[in-house]
Amino acid sequence: MRVQSTRPAPLPPRAIQLVAHRIRLHAVRMVARQGLGYLGQALSSAELMATLFTSYLRSGLDHFVLSPGHYVIAAYAAAAETGLLDPADLDAYGQDGSDLEAIGTERSPVADITCGSLGQGLSAAAGLALSDRLRGIQVQTYALVSDGEVQEGQTWEAAMFAAHHGLDRLVVLLDCNNSQVDGPVNSITTIEPIPAKWEAFGWTAQRVDGHDPGALLAALDEAVASPKPAVVLADTSTRHGLDCLPADADGHFIKLSTDLADRAVAELETAILQAERSAR
Amino acid sequence: MRQPPYPTVLKPYGTALVELAKQRPEVVCLSADLTRQCEVDLFRDTIPERFINGGMAEQNLMGIAGAMAREGHIPFVHSFGVFCTRRPYDQVAMAIAYPDLPVRIVGFMPGLSSPGGPSHQAIDDVALMRALPNMTVVDVADAVEVSQVVPAIADLPGPVYLRLKRGEIPVIFDDGDHVLKLDSAQVLSTGRDVAIISGGMMLPAALVAASVLAEHGVEASVLNVPVIKPLDATTVLDACASARAVVVAENHSVIGGLGSAVAEALAEAGLGRPLRRVGVQDVFAGGSRTASYLFERYGLSARAVIEAAWTVTASQGPPPAPPPLPAEAGTYAPV
Repeated sequence: MRVQSTRPAPLPPRAIQLVAHRIRLHAVRMVARQGLGYLGQALSSAELMATLFTSYLRSGLDHFVLSPGHYVIAAYAAAAETGLLDPADLDAYGQDGSDLEAIGTERSPVADITCGSLGQGLSAAAGLALSDRLRGIQVQTYALVSDGEVQEGQTWEAAMFAAHHGLDRLVVLLDCNNSQVDGPVNSITTIEPIPAKWEAFGWTAQRVDGHDPGALLAALDEAVASPKPAVVLADTSTRHGLDCLPADADGHFIKLSTDLADRAVAELETAILQAERSAR
Repeated sequence: MRQPPYPTVLKPYGTALVELAKQRPEVVCLSADLTRQCEVDLFRDTIPERFINGGMAEQNLMGIAGAMAREGHIPFVHSFGVFCTRRPYDQVAMAIAYPDLPVRIVGFMPGLSSPGGPSHQAIDDVALMRALPNMTVVDVADAVEVSQVVPAIADLPGPVYLRLKRGEIPVIFDDGDHVLKLDSAQVLSTGRDVAIISGGMMLPAALVAASVLAEHGVEASVLNVPVIKPLDATTVLDACASARAVVVAENHSVIGGLGSAVAEALAEAGLGRPLRRVGVQDVFAGGSRTASYLFERYGLSARAVIEAAWTVTASQGPPPAPPPLPAEAGTYAPV
C-alpha cells in the first residue's frame, strides 16, 4: 500500500460523486457475477466510502475499521478507485478460493479490521485509537458502522469506553440506511433518537445526507477536529443511485438477474458520463 | 432409506414449529433479525401474537428467553448457530443452562454449510453447548428428523440446542419407518471392519463412503447419532466393539463435538479402537461462493471419510474414490 504522510487534498464534491458512481458500478458487476449479493450496502455507502477513501484516509497511516463485514464489497470498490487494489482483482470477489471474500475476514485487504459478526467493530476501532495514543502516534481511526448493528449492546459499551477515555481521534461513519435482514431497522427495534444517544454517551454527533459529498466533507472536517470522539450519522438508502431497482429490492442481500444487472450497468455508465462532464 | 441425490424440501422446521405451537399455547417464537433464514417467517405470519423479534441483540434475547421460561413459556430462540452460541455464551450459561430452563436454542447454518466465512460458520457450537451442564445437543440429518425433533424436544425439562441446516433440506429417510429417538442412536448398517459414526450434514457422506468401501472389501457399519448429548454410549460402544476401527464424521471442529464425545465414551469404557475424526481440523475456514467447495477443501467429503476408513483399517493400495454425485437444482448430494 502507498503511504501518504499528509492528508490527501480533499476532492471537490463533484469528483467524489463520480467516484461514488464508479463504486456502484464495480459493485453491480461484482454482484452480477454471482447473481446475488451485498449490493444494497454498496449503494448506501458509496458516497461515504468515496469521501473517506479519496479525501481523508491516509493509506498506511490512518486506520480503517469496517465493522459490518458485508460492506467489504464497497471498500474493495473504493480501494480499486483510489489505487489501493487492482480493479481486475475485483473479478474474483466472492468466488470459491478467492481472497476477496463476500463477507470480510482476517485476510481481507483494505480494511485494518473487519467483523462479519456485527456490532464488534467499534470496540476494535477504540482499541486501535487507544493503542495509538499510548504509543504517541498521531493518526486517525475511521470506523464505518451500520445502523442495524447498534442494536448490539457491544456498540454502546464501546461508545461509553471511547468517550470516557477521550479518544478524540476516533471518527465513526454511521451508515443509517434503515435496513437490516428482517426489514427496516425502525420496524424491528427502534434506535432513534440516534444523535441524542451518541451525544448522551459523550460523543460529538452530526446528522447529514449520506449521499451528499459536500455535506459529508463538512461533517468529517468537524468530526476530525472535534475534541471528543465523533460520529457522522449519514442518512442513506440501499437503493440510492439505481433507479432501475424495484421498490421492494432487498437491502441486505439482493438477487440480481442478468437483465436487471444489464440495466443497472447502463444506468450507472450514463450517470458516470454525465458526472465526468460536470466534473470537468 | 433413499439413495442420493436426495429430494429436498423447504421449511420443515418452520412448519413443524407452527404445528407444535397450535397445540401448545406456551410455545413462543423468538427471532434475532434472521426470521426468514430460520424458517420462522411461517410462525410470524401464522401466530404473530407469539412471535417476538428481538432484533440484532442475541445476548439480550437469551436473557428474555430464560425469564419467559421461568414464567411457563417454552421459548424457541432462533439465529444462525454462531450468533446463538458463541456470541451470547455467558447469557446462555447463566440465564438458561444453569437454571435448567426449557429454552430451545435453534442454530441454523451448521459448520461449513455457510460460505460466509468464519464469522458465519458454526464450527464450535456443538463443543460450546455440550460443555454446558443441563444442555441437550441435537444435530439432525434430514427433513424427516427435523419434523420429528420439534415435538420430541417440546417437553424436555431442560434446555436444548438444536442445530439445523438452512435452506433446502434433504429427505434421506422414508417418512413412516424412521423414528427419531432422543435417547438412542441408530444403526443404519452393520459391518465388521470399521464403524462410521455420523449425523447431521455428514450423514449422507458417511452413507456414500460405506457403500464405496463395501465395493472394495471394507465392511463398514454406519451409525446415525442425532443426539450428541446425552450420547447413547451403549449403541456407540456396541458398534465400535463390533469393528476393528472407528471413524467419526461431523460438520464441526474435530475438537469438542461428536468425535470427542465418541472418544470419551471409548476411553471411559476401556474399549481400545483406532479412531479417526473427520471434521474441521482445528482451523478457521474461509469464505467462498459455495458450501460444497468448502466441504471438499476442508475435508468434509465422502472422499475424506473413505480415506479415513481406508487408512484406519490399514487397507492396502490407494483408497477408492467416491462416484461423482451431481446435485441438480432441488436435490442434495453429499460432497
